[in-house]
This record gives sequence, C-alpha cells and structure tokens, in this order.
Amino acid sequence: MSDQGVSRRKFLIAGLGVISGAIALGVGGAAVTSIGAPAMTNKREGKWVEACNCTDLKAGEFNQLSITYDAKDAWLDGKIKQLVYVKVAGDDILALSATCAHLGCNVNYDEQTGGFKCPCHSGAYDATGKNISGPPPRPLTRLAAKIEDGKLKINTATKEA
Amino acid sequence: MFARIVDALDTRFTFKESFQKNVLDHPVPPRVNFTFCFGGITFLLYVLLAVTGITMLFYYVPSVDHAFNTVEYITFDLPAGNLVRAIHHWSANLMIVFIFVHMLRVYVYGAYKNPRELNWITGVLLFGIVLGFGFTGYLLPWDQKAYWATKVGVLMPESLPIVGGFVTKFLMGGDNIGALTLSRFFALHVAVLPIITVVFLVGHFLMIRRLGIARPL
Repeated sequence: MSDQGVSRRKFLIAGLGVISGAIALGVGGAAVTSIGAPAMTNKREGKWVEACNCTDLKAGEFNQLSITYDAKDAWLDGKIKQLVYVKVAGDDILALSATCAHLGCNVNYDEQTGGFKCPCHSGAYDATGKNISGPPPRPLTRLAAKIEDGKLKINTATKEA
Repeated sequence: MFARIVDALDTRFTFKESFQKNVLDHPVPPRVNFTFCFGGITFLLYVLLAVTGITMLFYYVPSVDHAFNTVEYITFDLPAGNLVRAIHHWSANLMIVFIFVHMLRVYVYGAYKNPRELNWITGVLLFGIVLGFGFTGYLLPWDQKAYWATKVGVLMPESLPIVGGFVTKFLMGGDNIGALTLSRFFALHVAVLPIITVVFLVGHFLMIRRLGIARPL
C-alpha cells in the first residue's frame, strides 16, 4: 500500500514538473527568440550605391564623399548616411570608410601626413588607411568601388566585396 | 550543486520548511477534483500574457503612425513573433473562458459563502479588470476592426446618466478616437491594469491561504 502511495506521489510530482517545464520552455523559448533574434537577423546589407560623377573627382588625391542610401530599419524605411574617402589614380580606386576602427567616429583627412586623423582619440592612419598610431586596432575598412558609365559606385558592405 | 545553493540560501532566509509545509504538503479537503484547477489555470494564463506581452513591448510602438506597422513587423518579420502574439491572443481568449468556469464552479459549490465573501468580491472585480484588459488591448493593433470596435465600446458609457458624456470623452481623450486614445489605452493595458490586477490577486490568494479552500459538496 505504502509503496503505491509513494510511487503515485512521485509520478504526480514528476508529471507536474514535465508539464510546467514544457510550458515554461515553449513560452520562454518563443519570448527569448523574439527578443534576441534581431541581434542575429537585423543585418546591414551591402549594396552598390552611386556616389558621384567621376568628373567631380579630383584625380590622385582623397575626395571626401557623403553617400546616402535607403536601408530598411525594422518597420521603417530609413536612410543611412556614410562618409567615405575616395582616391582615383588611373585604374586604381581606393575607397576607405571614414569610420574609425576604434570607436566609430568619422576620421578627418590630414593634409600634413596625407593620411587620416580621428578627432575623438587622436588615432592616426596613413594614406593607405593603415593604422599607424593611437588606439585604432586595425586599418580603416576598404570598400569595394568601381566606375560604371562615368559614375563612381561604392559597395556599402563593411568588408571589401 | 543545486542543493548546496538552496541550502546556503536557506540558512539565510529559512524558507525551506515553510515551503514544504505550506506548498508541497499543504492539506486540502478530501474529494477535491479537477474543477478546482480553473482558478489556477486562469492565473497561469495571466503569467503567459505577462511574458508574451512584455516580449511584444520590445517592438510595439503606441502611436497612430507606427502601431499597425509594428504589429505587422511582430507578426510577419520577427522570428517567433507570430507565436508570441498568438499565445497572447489565445491566452486572452481562454482567460475569459476559464474565469467563467472558475466562477461557475465556485457558485455551484457555494464556495463564495461566509467567510469567503471577500474572495468572491475581489474575484468579480478581477473579472471586470480582465474585461478592461480585453477592451484596451483590442485597440492596440490599430486596424479597422480595432478602431470600430473601440468606437462602439467608448460610446456605450455615453448612455449613463449625468456622467456618461464625460466617461466617453475621458476614454477617448477628447472628442475623437485618435493618438490620445491609443496612447491612453496602451498605458492602461500595460501599466495601470497589470498593477491593479496584481494587488487584487495578492488579496485573492492570501485569503485562500488563510481560509483554505472550501470543502467539496
């Protein structure tokens, strides 16, 4: 008799635990997925953006360009503005994102060195975008760029495409 | 490992014995059956509504130019968002059903009688609050159904004597259903009503603890 009593009690407790656990896992899982998902899925996409007419560019030196492009921001149709430095020398196009590799300020062109200097923490880069002094841990991001029909197009992907 | 953490906490808070006595080994009258679960199920649904509601609070924007778009985003773009919203929807509907059968059970068993009158009274107030949840929540998606249902709902109190006109204007936040209606329904739905509900629930539950559940027939 007592054996039966114990096993029934244990069975009920275990059953209660399983049902509670299933509900908690189901609802908790859905909630955690919903709240956490944008960190994985809400990515900024790289796309080709028309930056300017090539005739406007000064050859052989850095041109500061501001490119604006449409970007979906969850339920909003937003725009992203991005600063880039472009140097065209013959067939070579060097397009550098102006976003400092340290904490994301926009770097300025430095006429004295021909490189770039960040106004926030004095990070410095040379003319190829390589980090030469200060806190930046890596070079400025090189963006893919091409000239089509006399227009300069820049790919907004953070990595070189 | 887990047992050691529990023991360490127990030496500080001494909760183990009273938890064992009051929850796990809590005596209940004989012949208690599954109909005594309906109140607990209603509370479980309230917890589910709170969890899924807080989840949607991460995305929902209570303004007339974004409300519908954010609900659309939750439903169609957000991973598991549709599931979260569906659980919220069905828990809300089932809550009304389970409150009804809970009240029916309490009525048939005469469990509302002395000394449990106040349980019945707080319960009826809670039922009213839940209907308030339903009414305010229905507007939030800001679609045609929400708008016109609210239009019908806010005009009902207008037929009250003397105060009717004011009640309607108070609910709408003026003469129109618009930005102010949406934001005040939102505030009621996610802040005011939940807090009032918890206050009454604590009373409702504490009285059950003190008085025990009524003996079955």
